[in-house]
Amino acid sequence: MTAIETSPAAAVGYPATPLAHRLRAVLRIHFANPFMTLIQPWLITLLIFGVNLAIYGLIAYAAGGADRVEEGAFQNNGGVSWVFVFMIVIAVQAMHFTFRFALGMSVARRDYYVGTLGYFGILALVHSLGLTVFAVIERATGGWWMDAAFFAPLGLAGQPVPVVTYLYVVGFLLALSTGAFAAGVWVRWASNGLYVYFATLLVAVVAFLWVVTTSHAWGDVWSFLTGTSIPTLATWALLVVAVSAGAGFALIRRAPVRS
Amino acid sequence: MTAVLEAHGLTKRFKDVTALADVSFSIDGPGVYGVLGRNGAGKTTLMNLLTGQDFPTSGTARLAGLDPATGSHAFGAIAFIKESQAYPEGYKGRHVLKAASGIFPRWDDAYAAQLIEDFGAPLDRHMKKLSRGQRSAVGAVVALASRAEVTLLDEPYAGLDAVARQLFYDRLLTDFAEHPRVILMSTHLIDEAADLFQRVLVIDKGRLVIDQDADELRGAAVRLVGPAAQVDRLVGSREVLHRETLGGTAAVTVDGADDAFKAEAVAAGLELAPVSLQQLIVRRTGVQSTEEISA
Repeated sequence: MTAIETSPAAAVGYPATPLAHRLRAVLRIHFANPFMTLIQPWLITLLIFGVNLAIYGLIAYAAGGADRVEEGAFQNNGGVSWVFVFMIVIAVQAMHFTFRFALGMSVARRDYYVGTLGYFGILALVHSLGLTVFAVIERATGGWWMDAAFFAPLGLAGQPVPVVTYLYVVGFLLALSTGAFAAGVWVRWASNGLYVYFATLLVAVVAFLWVVTTSHAWGDVWSFLTGTSIPTLATWALLVVAVSAGAGFALIRRAPVRS
Repeated sequence: MTAVLEAHGLTKRFKDVTALADVSFSIDGPGVYGVLGRNGAGKTTLMNLLTGQDFPTSGTARLAGLDPATGSHAFGAIAFIKESQAYPEGYKGRHVLKAASGIFPRWDDAYAAQLIEDFGAPLDRHMKKLSRGQRSAVGAVVALASRAEVTLLDEPYAGLDAVARQLFYDRLLTDFAEHPRVILMSTHLIDEAADLFQRVLVIDKGRLVIDQDADELRGAAVRLVGPAAQVDRLVGSREVLHRETLGGTAAVTVDGADDAFKAEAVAAGLELAPVSLQQLIVRRTGVQSTEEISA
């Protein structure tokens, strides 16, 4: 295939378009309307953040000041995790709609997939940097002057800023790549594929629990999780990202456009 | 020379339904080609295979000699506009045009702007909120302004009114004259679009039943009207597509009428009338019929 693509005046085929141009076209399809993927998540996140902050303020006011609230009371907030779940939805939805559109516009399946992964990568970076900025402000203001943790809650509170950013990036990549895989199943086999996929996933999880339990290995699993630093665990998760992304491509390669 | 579009034994089965059966043809150069057939005949399936949207069960589809479903060679060379096109979430007309302008190397912004005005295509409303006609208008703009080497149009004017359809035909022919390319259009409004086509492919129940030059096809059938005995004698063993009788007068649609036959009919004093492309295709793909009309 490469030989054909790089010979400009072959007897067959049309003049090849450079890869960069083809990928740019895919990015343009995704970015044509950036509201849902880039802007809307921030509107909702800031709304959730504002509401949480208001409630914290309310509690602090009722308690007679932030310093009179139990220590660490505002540290455990999972509000920000919604963005990661939302990214799974974004990945599935983006691929469901843009795959058909892009192919009708003569984009090849492989270019579409590579470009889409690139787009997901950009989303992961942009959102991670955005969250980092807020996490830095959070720390600089002593937790919004109330010892509150919204952008870097739970175990993230004690981690250095670059580590926090890294965890965000991996989290987004994990959400987007598993979303891309699920979308691949959907595009390739429609709803039947998803039934099989989720059934398989369920069986695999239960089988894992069985194996670990019957071989009395919970101690090992636990010591691995507690003995491994959070960044190292995140790096292990990149393996899942790579496998999901690769499997997604295998699915897309032969996926039909349904009308 | 490599054909622009080529199908060889192209077959597509969906479970136990054969949507397309052993279709072979070749399109070698620029022209406006019609893909005609009844609903469910296999027109969309054929176009899906020719553009690599789907994979054939057997046989091959080729775009400029290469498989349209693998590799990136078709990028910017082929535009497939279909009535059932799904648009990405949140897309407005202008997003569609923006995406298209980044793909087609011969995309013409000024021409697109002109077409948008002509068709009244709404650009600032969400695609999924548009009426069928408005969506078709956006599709028509993309189809024409992309000036792709190969443009496939699957029922491109669904929901467009007669004025807009005529406008579309006019713009198509004008732009084709200036920028010759392969345009393959499916339709069931045969008579309306008949003058556009230089060649027609008729698909019936998944099979390619007619692949012929449009002018030849138009001349291939005639309607003879005259005294029944005289008409029958002249028709002889020729294939009769349709026959009506009224008292002693017969009106017969005959296939495969050559010039000698026509001259003979005129000499015999019979009335000779052309048969429209639509009539011919309806007759050829429908059941052979005989009608007795009582006064």
